[in-house]
Amino acid sequence: MIKKNKTVATVLGVAVLSLVLAACGSSNNSNTSSSGATGSSTTLVGAGSTLVAPLVSEWQPEYDKKAEVAVTYGAIGSGGGIAQITARTVDFGASDAPLTEDQFKEAKGVVQIPWALAATVVAYHVEGVPNQLKLTGPVLAEIYEGKIKAWNDPAIAKLNPGVSLPSTAITPIHRSDGSGDTFAFTNYLSHISPEWSSKYGHATQVNFPVGVGAKGNSGVGGALTSTNGSIGYIAIAYVLQNKFDYALVQNAAGKYPVPGIPSISAAAATLASVPANNEVSIVDPPASAPGAYPISTFTYALVPESAPKASTLKPFLKWAINEGQSFGAKLEFAPLPAKVVSADEATIEKIS
Amino acid sequence: MAASVPEYGRSALKLSSAQRKLGDRLGDPLLRTLTWLAAAASVVVLALLVYKVFDQASESFSHFGLSFIGTKEWNAVSGKFGAATFIYGTAISAFGALLIAGPMAIAIALFLTELAPRPIRRPVATLVDLLAAIPSVVLGLWGILVLAPFAENHLEPALNSALGWIPLFGGTPSPFGLLPAILILTIMAVPIVAAVTREVFATVPTELKEGAFALGATRWEMVRAVILPYARPGIVGAVILGLGRALGEAIAVTQVIGDTAGIHASLFAPADTLASRVASEYQGAATTLQISSLAYLAAILLVFSLLVNAAARLIVRRTTMRLRGGAAAVGIGAAATGVGVDVVEEEAEL
Repeated sequence: MIKKNKTVATVLGVAVLSLVLAACGSSNNSNTSSSGATGSSTTLVGAGSTLVAPLVSEWQPEYDKKAEVAVTYGAIGSGGGIAQITARTVDFGASDAPLTEDQFKEAKGVVQIPWALAATVVAYHVEGVPNQLKLTGPVLAEIYEGKIKAWNDPAIAKLNPGVSLPSTAITPIHRSDGSGDTFAFTNYLSHISPEWSSKYGHATQVNFPVGVGAKGNSGVGGALTSTNGSIGYIAIAYVLQNKFDYALVQNAAGKYPVPGIPSISAAAATLASVPANNEVSIVDPPASAPGAYPISTFTYALVPESAPKASTLKPFLKWAINEGQSFGAKLEFAPLPAKVVSADEATIEKIS
Repeated sequence: MAASVPEYGRSALKLSSAQRKLGDRLGDPLLRTLTWLAAAASVVVLALLVYKVFDQASESFSHFGLSFIGTKEWNAVSGKFGAATFIYGTAISAFGALLIAGPMAIAIALFLTELAPRPIRRPVATLVDLLAAIPSVVLGLWGILVLAPFAENHLEPALNSALGWIPLFGGTPSPFGLLPAILILTIMAVPIVAAVTREVFATVPTELKEGAFALGATRWEMVRAVILPYARPGIVGAVILGLGRALGEAIAVTQVIGDTAGIHASLFAPADTLASRVASEYQGAATTLQISSLAYLAAILLVFSLLVNAAARLIVRRTTMRLRGGAAAVGIGAAATGVGVDVVEEEAEL
């Protein structure tokens, strides 16, 4: 009996000791994650946007092969990416929304580099309605404002002659977590509708007046699948992979381009110039581009101007905006337009 | 006997006298230190956790003050945050769930301890317990794919046509809203409440039950006059445990509640809870004020949970003390009197 008690006490003791030791040990390194499992000598740690995460995970093995640099990336969300780079706990952050003036001030010497281009697609699930229903920006705004409530609303019927629309109620679905898709979609609605712009604005999270929220692309996808009459905006790759029905959204030229890399690139080609802070927006491109898809968005890398790992970081960023773009195709990321690439390169040169 | 014990002791001493001496000297202090450390570790972790949550919330607290609690707006664009809608959603979803889960769990426990044929008691109990083992994210997924469409197409229209005059059941059916959240939380709370209640029912002394039967009580009378009064503190404790579960559940609720800030009379409308909002927004929060406001929500939830727990303990302790202080005889007397009265009443009716 005594012996047994002792064994129990020893086991307990060892467990507690190891716990205490582990706690003491872990308090020393505040970094989120350290080097990957690869044998590379140098590492880069980044965190932020979930939208760009699939592309970064394509880049990781490729760049490791090429430059022997292990890139660790935590898809913790754009807000987290901004917070982490502001606190300098990572080598680079990533955000789907460009930094605001306040955020720039707070981050003290961080530059933003648009490094990927993706589109947001309006998907829907309405029994009896074919794929590629035609919609316009004002109609989308009214749906998300709760003014258009049923699928057979005259405003939708007028755009789709010959399609028999059911009286099913419309359930608008939005992302409840901060998301680059929400930024792109609300940025588009704000361009189209002054009312939307003044009442709800655009950000990675806005206060949608009606409809239901769901977390992540998969949450919106799940809600869409299970709800007859639903409509939602989702990252293009997710829509195409899951074969959701999606809407063709009218552009400024009055055309209905199919969402895809050609139409995203057509929108990107309309970009006149890149401002000094690299904030670029190509939603609702001008009528001069009839093939341009109206809801695309740039996503940004956030890098401190004086970076301790500048010598590792700069080649990685240069590679990402040039060679790296070719890995985006299968994920429906369009290549960056030349103007953005040259603006990016100029910005990267400033890092030291 | 007296001779054999020292002999055993002596031989054991002989075997390992050196180690034994060292062990004797080290064992007790070591045990004391380690157990002390284990106890201290949990207290320290709790203290650090509370500190961190409140520390993170401080920016929002100094910005909005206590009016945060009563503010309905939650707008990341304009930077105006308030907790009222989430407190409402948390309260309605948790209490709604317990309103269903409580009676259901008591019924399950009664069935399993008193009414069910013996061979099926253990398997059914195990299955009910297994319900608690379903990961909440899986339950939430089932909620999205099965429960939400069922609620929209069958349950909510039926409730609406039968009870539509009550504002709770008014409004248009929707797949995601408070009602599916209440149902999901019910499923999560039932096994916990049922398991604890079952344990409590099992501790009701057989003599009491047999006494009630001997006095001519029917099974229902025995349950009402003996088991339920005897087990009341335990039932209260079990229900509060369930409440704790329902208050804090985040993921499964996020998946079905519709994640929308707003207070609506209808249970069909989308809403959001404190835990769900923290879970869905924390990662993507864009400003430090938003992060801090989410921590403020977490702090409110923390205070809620601690209060609920403290209240539960107080209730349970009071009731058990009354039971113990009154002594078993009084308990039996009261139970018997209760049964007696019931029996008399029944006879009078006859």
